[in-house]
Amino acid sequence: MTSDVTRRTFLQLSAAALAATPALAQTAVTPKKGGTLRVGFYVEAVTMDPHLSGSKVDRQVYHNVYEPLLTLDTKLNVKPGLAESWTQPDPKTLVLKLRRGVRFHDGTAFDAEAAKFNFNRMKTEPKSLRKGEVANIDSVDVVDAATIKINLKRPDASLLATLTDRAGMMVSPKVVAERGAGLERDARGAGTGPFEFVEWVRDSHLVIKRNDSYWNKQGGPYLDRVRYRPIPDDVVKLQSLQAGEIDVMDYVLPRDVAPMKADKRLVVVDVPSLAAFGYQLNHTRPPFNVKALRQAVAYAVDLDQIVKGVWLNVGYPSNGPISPASWAYDRAIPHIKRDLGKAKAKLLEGGQPGGFTFTVITQNIPITAQETEVIQAQLAEAGITMKIQLVDSSTLIASGNAKNFEMISFQWSGRPDPDGNTYQFFKTTPGTSFNWSGLSSEKVDALLERTREVSNQAERRKLYGELTRLLQDELPMLFIVHPIEPKAFSPRVQGYDPIPDGMMRFKDVWLR
Amino acid sequence: MGRLVLHRLAATVPVLLLVTAGVFALLHLTPGDPIDTMMAESADPAVKAHLRRELGLDRPIPVQYLQWMARVVRGDLGRSIRNGEPVIENVSRRLRPSLQLALLAMTVSLLVAFPLGIVSAVRRNTAADRAGTTFALFGICMPNFLLALLLIFVFGVTLRWLPISGYVDPLEEGWDGLRSLVLPACTLGLALAAVITRTLRSSLLEALGEDYVRTARAKGVSEWGVIGGHVLKNAMIPVVTVLGLQLGTLIGGAVITEYVFALPGVGRLVVDAVFARDYPLVQGVILLIAVGFIACNLVVDLLYGWLDPRIRIR
Repeated sequence: MTSDVTRRTFLQLSAAALAATPALAQTAVTPKKGGTLRVGFYVEAVTMDPHLSGSKVDRQVYHNVYEPLLTLDTKLNVKPGLAESWTQPDPKTLVLKLRRGVRFHDGTAFDAEAAKFNFNRMKTEPKSLRKGEVANIDSVDVVDAATIKINLKRPDASLLATLTDRAGMMVSPKVVAERGAGLERDARGAGTGPFEFVEWVRDSHLVIKRNDSYWNKQGGPYLDRVRYRPIPDDVVKLQSLQAGEIDVMDYVLPRDVAPMKADKRLVVVDVPSLAAFGYQLNHTRPPFNVKALRQAVAYAVDLDQIVKGVWLNVGYPSNGPISPASWAYDRAIPHIKRDLGKAKAKLLEGGQPGGFTFTVITQNIPITAQETEVIQAQLAEAGITMKIQLVDSSTLIASGNAKNFEMISFQWSGRPDPDGNTYQFFKTTPGTSFNWSGLSSEKVDALLERTREVSNQAERRKLYGELTRLLQDELPMLFIVHPIEPKAFSPRVQGYDPIPDGMMRFKDVWLR
Repeated sequence: MGRLVLHRLAATVPVLLLVTAGVFALLHLTPGDPIDTMMAESADPAVKAHLRRELGLDRPIPVQYLQWMARVVRGDLGRSIRNGEPVIENVSRRLRPSLQLALLAMTVSLLVAFPLGIVSAVRRNTAADRAGTTFALFGICMPNFLLALLLIFVFGVTLRWLPISGYVDPLEEGWDGLRSLVLPACTLGLALAAVITRTLRSSLLEALGEDYVRTARAKGVSEWGVIGGHVLKNAMIPVVTVLGLQLGTLIGGAVITEYVFALPGVGRLVVDAVFARDYPLVQGVILLIAVGFIACNLVVDLLYGWLDPRIRIR
């Protein structure tokens, strides 16, 4: 319970810190129009076509240029977006009332036909990476110019949240028809968002400008322009912020958080994330096909120590796949506590009283490497020998997909609906999937299906609690940490409202 | 001369075959797959299989190599898997900053190394020589990234004279472009200057002991006349060798400097492509880098002949 209190205190403190930061204090001063916001990202965008995009950094730009049908608020509740309301006449039908009078940046009207076009494109375009997300959509009917009816193959409670990101983003049909694959490089005119795409000079910068005819007249957009720049080195990115070359930095490493918070030239905002970091344990081969041995490892690992020592408290010890930022998080479930006595008993139960040896595959990134070293030392105290194999991300993914591992690091950025943090990882799936552990449990499968069928949030929350407890027993994964994703700003930046999906929406941001 | 060039060109063919086959084999033997990496957050096997088929990644490796070779012979290096653009476009976009940086770094290194090397050699065993040697040692020992971060801290963060990172093309925005390249050019140039200073000093010392130097001095040529007119040209061969080899490294291998200063150069292109398992891009870039190295070496060989007629091949 102690850690529960700590966590709560921590959340309260972060909330207090958030309220006190100048970046959020927008009540006193009237926002000012103008200026260019310069944003430093760790890597360049890959494509400007939201239906073909597979990388997180793309979404950072999209959420300012394109708009999804639905949006999220800071508590991750689903809010109207391009759709101003929705109803579900039955579990397999979703009716969306679309906003009238919205135009794409190229002047094309956004209406029911345009929305239908977008869904069809996501489903049929050969290179579409949205196919999985819209697979459950059977068809889309145009009811009238401002209403669409989405017919589902099966009930799916997570669909609303799915429509708050790329799978709900609307692209101008005219731009798609005229530009084709060119949209990947040039998104002029393609969105409806508060900012319009201007140019993307590969390897140098990407610029968007204010959409003066934006439909939502409340608040911004205030900024003239936003200029994104890739700066791969974390130290250099930080120095660029300190020297005033950029105004926003997308992510601050745990080791930099404390010194940056002490720096008066900067404002650090702790954005809780939906991410879940841990290790998948291979159920399909020794040693972790034996449940007792998985449990022995879980009891030998000290999450509190890892979060304090490695993550420097820029994160929370994890009780399962769902982060404390989510409505589905059950804080009554404690994370597995270290207990060497129990670990030894489980070793005995698993037929390895003297301990055993296995290899963990993890990415060669400083913080991940440190984490595994700490785990290695903790396991050694229980007589378990863990060898560390450091690889690059491509090798990691290949090993995971091929189930060619004993224990493997798994870092998931998280999805607004808990379904995105659970179903694809723990549902029995033959062949390639994210269920790298090979977990196959009838109970887990039934629960996962149930969470999709039930639409009542309180009821779903209860089901996810049940699932979390079940996973703590089955251990397809060793759940370690839900990291916080701090972002840093120049004190000039005002009006930023952090949403736990980590996306930076600049509509209401302005420069002092 | 013409025959030398032809000879050299003929010798490049097996080298290039070896390089491409080696890179191809190594890349495909490394675990990992471009599609899985590109679509890390999607688990849709059908889409992935479709893409693999479309890109020909489902065929046997020797077949893939032959198909790639067949295209290369026709002058087509293929397209990057990750961004879909032709490899040649990716490279040409990256080559410009790399070349500019390499040339600027060379200029910095020569501006520093020549005076230091000459003074060290002529005023051998004096304080000036020791200062030069110490600088050279420092430059060789200092890791690139550390020097880069120090320069950034002093000139970017503290004094704010120069931009910290990013690239502006000097051919488009002259002054700003030059400013954006000063720190990376100094980072690379100082390390290179150290190597050249040492090489120049030792080869000058050797040349200074030659008979023709004594003769020149005996004929009453001034000390600087001896150095400028006789010694320097003879001492240049090792320096040119180093420069030639380093030019290739500066263009293709300045990964860390490019990374720290967020410069879009060829080095980072290769490394990023390897991490993404972007096979066509890696192969294409390595092929071009190999060609570049060979060309540099050829130029160096031709320079030898100009510097020292005795080396000229008849």
